[in-house]
Amino acid sequence: MATYVLQRLLISIPVLLGVLLIGFLLLQVVPSDPVELLAGPEATQEVRDSIRKDLGLDRPLYVQFGSYLVRVLQGDLGRSLISNRSVAEELWLAIPPTVELTFMAMLWAIPGGLALGTWAAIRRGQWVDRLVMALSVTGISVPVFFLGLMLIRYVGFEWQALPFVGRPGPLYTWEGLVGIILPAITLGGVLVGPIARMTRTTTLEVLRADYVRTARAKGVREGRVVLAHVLRTALIPIVTLIGLQAAFLLGGAVVTETLFAWPGLGQLAVGAILSRDFPLAQGAIMILALAFILINLSVDVLYTRLDPRVRRR
Amino acid sequence: MNAVQAIATPAATPPTRATIWRRLLADRAAAVAALLLSVLIVAAILAPLIAPYDPYAINLGKAIRTPDGENWLGTDATGRDIFSRVLYGMRLTLLMGVMSVLVGGLLGAAIGVLAAFYKRIDGVVMRVIDMLLAFPAILIGLAAAAIFGPGLGAVIFALIFATVPDVARIARGAAVGVASQEFLEAGRAIGLSDRVLLWRYLALNCASTIFVFLTLRFGQVILIGSALGFLGLGAQPPTAELGMMAADGRGLLFLAPHIVTIPCVFIFLIVLAANVVGDALRDVLDPRLVA
Repeated sequence: MATYVLQRLLISIPVLLGVLLIGFLLLQVVPSDPVELLAGPEATQEVRDSIRKDLGLDRPLYVQFGSYLVRVLQGDLGRSLISNRSVAEELWLAIPPTVELTFMAMLWAIPGGLALGTWAAIRRGQWVDRLVMALSVTGISVPVFFLGLMLIRYVGFEWQALPFVGRPGPLYTWEGLVGIILPAITLGGVLVGPIARMTRTTTLEVLRADYVRTARAKGVREGRVVLAHVLRTALIPIVTLIGLQAAFLLGGAVVTETLFAWPGLGQLAVGAILSRDFPLAQGAIMILALAFILINLSVDVLYTRLDPRVRRR
Repeated sequence: MNAVQAIATPAATPPTRATIWRRLLADRAAAVAALLLSVLIVAAILAPLIAPYDPYAINLGKAIRTPDGENWLGTDATGRDIFSRVLYGMRLTLLMGVMSVLVGGLLGAAIGVLAAFYKRIDGVVMRVIDMLLAFPAILIGLAAAAIFGPGLGAVIFALIFATVPDVARIARGAAVGVASQEFLEAGRAIGLSDRVLLWRYLALNCASTIFVFLTLRFGQVILIGSALGFLGLGAQPPTAELGMMAADGRGLLFLAPHIVTIPCVFIFLIVLAANVVGDALRDVLDPRLVA
């Protein structure tokens, strides 16, 4: 188990380097030359050269990449071109809203998807099954922004039922809790469909298994058969799927945040790219990539916990 | 197993083309979806012939009209005909999907099949693919838009880039399965060249798996692409692209919701139809593949 986790961590290192390389490249495309900025228009060639040397810009790119790595590892991601605040600080402020949003989305979408999928599997071929399947293919096909815009239009605007602009406060306050409802429904909406589908497929397979028949033959109550025998086994592929959904979740979060003016990492990244704030864009993209890698890593670890076959390997 | 059985068993006898069609058409939902998708594609291709107005012609006198006899789907904030813009917008949105699925699919399939055939490169290639899989499409899209600047090119690049590793993995899986069967060995034994073995024996036998995967992928790619368009990172105004058109109308969501809703509905229809067709194809061609 420990070796497996260690192995997974080692595989992540080249990926991390790749992420850092993208971040470094992003900084290379900055249109303005920092030397010109510092030296001013009147500077002589000598002054320029010495500034270039001070900044280390005369060295080959791979050396610059090396010093970039050192700086990033020390937490120095540069300064935003627009707010002039440090990128690390901006990112730090944007992390809690994104974590809250994805957490709340998963909080309803995962149990909801599991319940719907299991229900459909038990009632295979009946109208419940068809309805759930129709709903999930709809959920898979609807653009996140469509769902969000419709919620804003009806629930937020016409019925005036829930707030839909910005994050009124942290999650533990009442305003924060109410304010997160619409964004969380929107983001969770992209997850429910795939989870319900996958749950149905795997549950159907497990329902046919011999040990389920044995359990029934022993006289175990149907509810217990479904929960303890079927769902538990079915959870294994589902955990993997949720890991795969991390990509959806991330994409959904970027759109949802932009839609609801939610001050998280996704909105920060999009805003930075649109305003050509390269240092900030670099930082935001790197943090998002890092989060994605971490999610996948923890899913892999969770997977080994759930599936004894993998654990023993 | 005697010789007769061995010939008779290659268990998954590929269904003939006629059976595939019959089974597809028997699935009513899939038939309707296929019809819808074809209509939308044809409408997009024929956009210049069908569109009643110039999709870029601004007419402030006719701004923000709800659908009526003159403008079937109404007009947007600058009086441009939404029906015409949707037709042209579908061209770009579909092009985005087709390009990335086609180019990404070909590259990915080639990588996957080659990796399965040449065991020497398998390890290295698949490690690289694993690494690439760690970058979800939306992040690649963000990075591409940041590096190259927002635009349709950046989006297509990102979608292709994100499709290649997924397809490579699926293709390799399929090819390893095929490569373990005896007919490949037999082909080698009668002295066929690697090229023939690779193409006729391996690639063509993986084609249906890859095709099904790509059909299912098509919808996702369009969703991601139009999301990037919606965020302003894709096609730039005044170009008509469905995601961008939705973003364009966002400011009028409460006053004139049809401007936002119509392009969204079309994206939804395209993706829904593609997904339903993809599901049906999978059930017929390759039931084992779980997307």
